Amino acid sequence: MAMAIPGRRRRLDRGYPFFLIPAAVLFTAVIAVPFAMNIGISLTRWQGVGPMTWVGLKNYQRLFHDSVFWSSFLHNVGLVVAMAVVPTALGLVVAAGLFDFIGKRFGPRTASVLRACIYLPQVMPLAVMGVVWGWILAPGDGVLNSALKDVGLGSLAHDWLGDPNTALYTVMAIMVWIQLGFPVVIFMAGLQRVDPVLHEAASIDGAGWWRRFWHITVPQIRPESYVVLLMCTIAALKAFAPIYVLTRGGPGTSTDIPSYYSYQNFFEKTQVGYGAAIATVLTVLTLIVTTIFIVVQGRHQDEES
Amino acid sequence: MFTQGARRKALAAIAVLATASLAMTACGKSSSSSSSKVLKLWHYESADSAMGVAWNQAIKEFEQSHPGVTVRFEEKTFEQLQKTAPMVLNSSNAPDIMEYNKGNATAGLLAKQGLLTDLTPAVTQHGWDKKITGNLATTSRYSNGVMGSGDWYGIPDYAEYGMVYYNKDMFAKYGVQVPTTFDEFTAAMDKFVKAGVTPLASAGAEYPAQQYLYNLVLSKADQNWVNQYQIAGKGNFHDAAWTYGATTLADWVKKGYIAKDSVSLKATDMGTAFESGKSPMMVSGSWWFGTFESEVKGFSWGTFQWPGNSLVPGSGGNLWVIPKNSKNAQLAEDFIDITLRPDIQALLANKGAVPVAAQTSDITDPKAEELVQNFQKLQSSNGLAYYPDWPTAGFYDSLVSATQDIVNGKDPNSALSSLQSAYSQGLTQ
Amino acid sequence: MARSDAAAARPRRGRGGYAVLVAFVLLAVFMVLPFGIVLLNALKTSSDYSTHGPLALPEAISFDNVRTFWNLVDFTHVLWNSVLISGCVALFAVVLSVLNAYAIGIGRIRGRLWILVAFLVANLLPQEGLVYPLYYLAKQTNLYDTRLAVIIVFTVIQSAFGTYLLSSVLSAFPREILEAARIDGAGKFRLLWQVVVPVSRPTLAVMLTFFFIWTWNEFLIPLVFLVSNQNQTVPVALGVAQGEHIVDVTMQAASGLLGIIPAIVFFLIFQRTLTRGVTVGSVK
Repeated sequence: MAMAIPGRRRRLDRGYPFFLIPAAVLFTAVIAVPFAMNIGISLTRWQGVGPMTWVGLKNYQRLFHDSVFWSSFLHNVGLVVAMAVVPTALGLVVAAGLFDFIGKRFGPRTASVLRACIYLPQVMPLAVMGVVWGWILAPGDGVLNSALKDVGLGSLAHDWLGDPNTALYTVMAIMVWIQLGFPVVIFMAGLQRVDPVLHEAASIDGAGWWRRFWHITVPQIRPESYVVLLMCTIAALKAFAPIYVLTRGGPGTSTDIPSYYSYQNFFEKTQVGYGAAIATVLTVLTLIVTTIFIVVQGRHQDEES
Repeated sequence: MFTQGARRKALAAIAVLATASLAMTACGKSSSSSSSKVLKLWHYESADSAMGVAWNQAIKEFEQSHPGVTVRFEEKTFEQLQKTAPMVLNSSNAPDIMEYNKGNATAGLLAKQGLLTDLTPAVTQHGWDKKITGNLATTSRYSNGVMGSGDWYGIPDYAEYGMVYYNKDMFAKYGVQVPTTFDEFTAAMDKFVKAGVTPLASAGAEYPAQQYLYNLVLSKADQNWVNQYQIAGKGNFHDAAWTYGATTLADWVKKGYIAKDSVSLKATDMGTAFESGKSPMMVSGSWWFGTFESEVKGFSWGTFQWPGNSLVPGSGGNLWVIPKNSKNAQLAEDFIDITLRPDIQALLANKGAVPVAAQTSDITDPKAEELVQNFQKLQSSNGLAYYPDWPTAGFYDSLVSATQDIVNGKDPNSALSSLQSAYSQGLTQ
Repeated sequence: MARSDAAAARPRRGRGGYAVLVAFVLLAVFMVLPFGIVLLNALKTSSDYSTHGPLALPEAISFDNVRTFWNLVDFTHVLWNSVLISGCVALFAVVLSVLNAYAIGIGRIRGRLWILVAFLVANLLPQEGLVYPLYYLAKQTNLYDTRLAVIIVFTVIQSAFGTYLLSSVLSAFPREILEAARIDGAGKFRLLWQVVVPVSRPTLAVMLTFFFIWTWNEFLIPLVFLVSNQNQTVPVALGVAQGEHIVDVTMQAASGLLGIIPAIVFFLIFQRTLTRGVTVGSVK
């Protein structure tokens, strides 16, 4: 359809790239140049201050043989599930539930209040979050263990963050709590785009809520789904702050992740050259994931239009 | 819904506001023009702590004795200064005088890069080396970034050392005497365990657990060992001292002296466990003293030295350093001198800190007097062994991790091996 | 849709409806519970906390910690810094995203996938990798220790996400509307301003909210760039409760509470614009 008037399209095309100029300038200054500098730093040995010693690719050699780094990637898979897959899927159901079901039966204000509550964890400063979850999950008399004992499930009471076997799963659960609000808000905004006529037609045809959700809502909300899934995956690959605040990679090394390792080298070990190498490798890996994602998304969207 | 015209006006207003704000932010830089009439001072001690109170007093005395000079004090956060001190000191925004951490990885690093003023002339001029001696001087002097010798780069006003805090009421209740030997110590803990009480409060997610480990290690070490580990970079984690420390710690957890689920607790939780009467003993540093004095109201408490050790964790306190880019180095030195005066030092003591140069006759609080006397004994016998995470930057995290593994029941030898590799790796940087 | 129609069309609530509502309310309570615990501890005194622990109700409601913290860091000023920075970033990042997404999503320029990926690098890069280079550049351009530097950095970082989200949404923009407007003689700029922006309003409102809140909670870059206390933002100031050895927990809770409230207020204000919106149908 867009190809119907080829000459006209070509004329319009020439103007669009100009809209990118402001962003391109800022991006070069703030991202491209510093990233190049970061790569430069990764080829040196440096303590953050003072002279840099050129070491060539030694940092990268050390990194490729660093078992701590690579084994911690496994933990990252858990985080991707907890920060991307679960919140996106759950978030879509919750958003649709709030928008279609609750909003229509109990009024949009109820839905808004519930949405605000669900989004709230996204607003909490991380230091405070670490402390409060420490209180909730405290081994002796934390909220969770006390509640379990009160309900008679005292045998399930556990040292959630202190036992290396449960620490990662506990952190994953907390991450779902933090992340859920983000997809819910985006999806609820996107659901307004869905033509209500489609839903009315389907329910007249006798389709129940779940079928309408699966066949109408999900396809219509696909652009947002891609975005949410990708952004959450990037966040899962990049974010170290929750680990820093909850377990600092412990107990032992059971919740270590590459991005925390990167941060440690930059600021705590002051091995900035090595940290820069880690950051570069992390960026490249995330870039690969992102590119695959976007290409797939682009192809899907081209097929649709 | 807004009309077209109203929306356009609103957006124009926002644009104007934004531009105006931007213009203001650009001009909103901190005034870098400092006449010699302003002393820019930074520290990160809380206002109601002993240091906070004493230094406030010192600022007042400074302003009195230096008419025409105002002290511009900024309360910094510890975390910000830790992470950004090298960057700040390398810019024109450096303060004139600031508090900074002691040790090779912190003050040593800055000294090595030439970011700190050499204080040796001032030291000789004011006679500070008469007040700051022995172990205290070790953390004030750095040569090529390594502490112990060389030029003076920082001056501490206070000191820290490790001890055992104990709950007198609980000791009486369970019929336990204050132990004087290591065997009495373990016997006392056995008694508590039998009565169903966890004797030692600990926290595995932060520094406390590794201090238990270090105390055990120090029981088999001497001053030479400390120097080899801390200064010469020749620590061996599989020697007799470390092996004893790690295996005994694991043993203690098995015996119930330290709760296994303390492994995920933070230092503040340990404090709460002691203050709420959950555990009768807590092994940590003198920085808790002032807090306990003001917060513990439900029981009477005291301190004793780790039984059987001639060495305990401890060192000179955080240093006053004068950045190379300071614009008022002379005034800064005057300020340091004021903080070392007897009245300020006595104030430090009476508020629960360990002063470096106070006359015991000036100390009015009996508990504080005991604290200072215990310190002076350690000082004269060279009993301060610094802290286990000092040898190389970032070693703290490795220690936390290894200690967690030991408390969680993993093989102590593999924990020690991981420490060895982190130690060696850090030292080659 | 006229109100009478809506009322007539509302489905019965029924028992199933109430069951679902209860489930959602339980979810909401679970999400909010930790905040309640923070509130509890913000209103305690330190001795109360140490003697009774974090989960006991306060013996006496005390605003001491809140007051102490407020005065200690000059919170009014810190608050203004955060509002200024977050507000400017939100605004500028939305503008930048709109421009980019227009070119990529509607204009469908060549190589748009690679341009999108390039912009996303802004978001992929671990921030600690940017810190030293940006510090150096800021010093060179005399922007070290200014709020402007922080605004510029975050505008770029947040606009990467905005570009991605908006261009994905705009790719699905109904072509008929664009063609109709073009046939009416609209140039690219008018097309953007009078057709694309109004229809994208829900998405723009979402972006504005997110950018504000994300920038509000940013910690590392403000920590590094904003040296003087007069320039600091809320998350940096919150660190004052965390001493070297001792954490003032009740002050941390109080400061955390003060830090959250403005972000919540902002979210609630913008919530109303999130629900207002123009559906595709009614534009026709």
